[in-house]
Amino acid sequence: MARHDRRVGYTLPTVLAVLLHVGVIGLTVFRWPQSDPIETSNSVVQAELISMETATDQAQQATEAQPRAQQGPEREQPEPEATQDDAAEEVARQQADAAEQAAQQAQEAAQRRAEQAKEVAAQQLQERQAREAEAQQKAEAEAKQKAAAEARQKAEAEAKQKAEAEAKKQAEAEAKKQAEAEAKKQAEAEAKKKAEAEAKQKAEAEAKQKAEAEAKKKAEAEAKKKAEAEAKKKAEAEAKKKAEAEAAAKKKAEAEAAAKKKAEADRKRAAEAAAAASQDAFGDEITNEAESIANARQAQEASNGFMNLVRRAVEQSWSRPQNAASGLVTIVRVQLLPTGELLNATVSSSSGDPGFDRSAVQAVERAAPFTEMSKLPPEARQKFRSFNLRFNPEDVR
Amino acid sequence: MSVISLFFHAGLVVQLIMLILLAASVLSWVLIFQRAFALKRDAQELDEFESHFWSGVDLNELYREVPADNPQGAAHIFRSGFREFNRLLPKSRSHNAVLEGVERSMRVSVSREEERLTTHLAILAIISSSAVYVGLFGTVWGILGTFQALGGAQQVSLGTIAPAIAEALIATAMGLFAAIPANIGYNRLTHKADKLMVRMENFAEEFHAFLHRNLQNRSAGENT
Repeated sequence: MARHDRRVGYTLPTVLAVLLHVGVIGLTVFRWPQSDPIETSNSVVQAELISMETATDQAQQATEAQPRAQQGPEREQPEPEATQDDAAEEVARQQADAAEQAAQQAQEAAQRRAEQAKEVAAQQLQERQAREAEAQQKAEAEAKQKAAAEARQKAEAEAKQKAEAEAKKQAEAEAKKQAEAEAKKQAEAEAKKKAEAEAKQKAEAEAKQKAEAEAKKKAEAEAKKKAEAEAKKKAEAEAKKKAEAEAAAKKKAEAEAAAKKKAEADRKRAAEAAAAASQDAFGDEITNEAESIANARQAQEASNGFMNLVRRAVEQSWSRPQNAASGLVTIVRVQLLPTGELLNATVSSSSGDPGFDRSAVQAVERAAPFTEMSKLPPEARQKFRSFNLRFNPEDVR
Repeated sequence: MSVISLFFHAGLVVQLIMLILLAASVLSWVLIFQRAFALKRDAQELDEFESHFWSGVDLNELYREVPADNPQGAAHIFRSGFREFNRLLPKSRSHNAVLEGVERSMRVSVSREEERLTTHLAILAIISSSAVYVGLFGTVWGILGTFQALGGAQQVSLGTIAPAIAEALIATAMGLFAAIPANIGYNRLTHKADKLMVRMENFAEEFHAFLHRNLQNRSAGENT
C-alpha cells in the first residue's frame, strides 16, 4: 500500500507545459486552409459616364473620344476600317478641347499603325523608295527645266543608253542602289563633262537646296496628313511607280543628263538629307504616337480614380431606407460644375420607390462637393460634367 | 499577420512584458500539471489507505506498514496520532489527556498535509490575478509609443494607427492567455485540495473516535 515514490516530479509537467505552448504557437503560425470569404462586391453605387443629349458638343465628344482613346492602344491589328476613318475625320475637325485632341491623336496613331502594319515590308520599302524617287524627280525636274535645253542637246544619245539601264534598276526598286548607280553614272558622265558641270554646279546646288527644303516640307506635311492623305500618297506613289516604269526612261534620261553635272558630294548629300528628313519625320510620328497614347492612358486612370472617389463618397453618405425592398435600382444623373460642386442631381431611372429614390438623391447631395475635381486635368474635367450613378443595394452584404 | 510577427514588431518594453507573460504562462501550466497529478495520486492513496484501515487490520500491524520516514496523506495522520496514543497511554492516567494529545498531534499533521496539498497554488493565484494587469500595462505602453509616433506623422489614417494598436494589444492577449488557464487551474486545484482536506479531517475525526472507543473499552474492561 505505502508507496515510496509518491513524490510527483516536475519533469513531466514541464515537458507537458512546454509542449502545450509550442502547440499553441504553432497553431497561430500555421495557416489553416481557410476558405476565402466570397468576394462580393461591396460597392453599392455604380457610376457610369453618359453622353448628354442636351448637353454641349464638348461633353458628347469627350464621351465619344474616351472609348476611342481606350481602343487606341489595343488596335494594333492591321484592320483599318472605313467607318473609323470617317469618324476620325469628324473628330479631327472638331478640335475643340485638348482631351479630344489627345484621343484623336491616339486614334490617328492607331490608324497609321494599322495601315503601316498592313503594308508589307516590301510595300513600305517601295513607298519610301517612291518618296525618295519623287523627291529626286522633282529636284531633277526643276534642274531639268533650268538646264533642259543644254542637257538634252548634249547628253541625249548617252542618256538614252543609261536610261534603259536605269529603268531596269528602277524596276528593281531600290533607292540606295539607284543612288549608287546614279553616282557611278554620274562619275562616268562627270569624267566626260567636267567643263560644263562646273558652270552649272552653282545652279544645281541651289536647285538641290530647294529640293531638300521641299522634301522636308513634304515630310512634315506627311506627318500631319491623315490616313487619307497617306492612302492618297500611297496611291500616288504606286501610280507614279507604274508611270515610272514607262515615263521614268525619259524623265530619268533628262534628269540624269542634268544630274550628271552635279558634284558627286552634293548629290549624295542631297539624297541623304532627303532620306534623313523622311526618317526623322517617321521617328517624330512614332514619338508623337507614344505620347498621345500615354496621355490618353493617364487621363483614363485619372478619370477612373475620380469616378471611384465619387462612388465611395456617395456610398458612404447614402443611408438606405430601412424598409426598402431588395432589388431596387435607381439611376441618378449627376451634373457637376467644373469646380466639383453639384449643379443638379435628378433621378433618371426610378426604382419605383420614391423614398428610395429620394435617399439616393440625398446621398449625392450630401457627398457633394467633389473637390477632387479641381485636381483633374482640365480636359478630363469635361468628362465629368455629367454622369450617371447607379444605386443598387443588392450588392450590400 | 501572425502572433510571432506582431511580437517581433513590438517595442522593447512590450517584448519584455510578453516574454514575462510567456514565462508566467509556462510556469502556470507546469504547476497545473504537477498539482493535478499530485492531487490525483493523493486522492488514490487516501482511498487505498481508508479501505485498508477499515478492512479490520490490526492497528499495530498497520503502524508498522506505514513508512516511518516522511509518510504522506492519511498515513501521516494515522501514524502521528497512533504514535502519540501509544506514547501517552502508559504515562497518562486520564483518558481525556491521552485523547487530547492525540487530537493535537493529528491536527498538526492535518495542517501539514494541507500545507503540502496547496503548495504552489498561491503562485497560480498570483499569475491568474496579475497577468492581466501586466498585459494591460504592455498594451498601454505600446499605445503610448504609438501615439507619440503619430504626433510626428503628417497624415494620420486608420491604416497607420491600426497595426501599432494591434502590436500593443497583443500584450493584453498574452496576459489573458496566461491568466485564464491559471485562474481556472487555481480554482479547480483548490477545490480538489479542499475536498482532500475534508476527507483527511474526517479520517482524523474517525480515527480519534476509534481511539476514544478503544479507551472506553479498556477502562470498561478494567472496571469489570
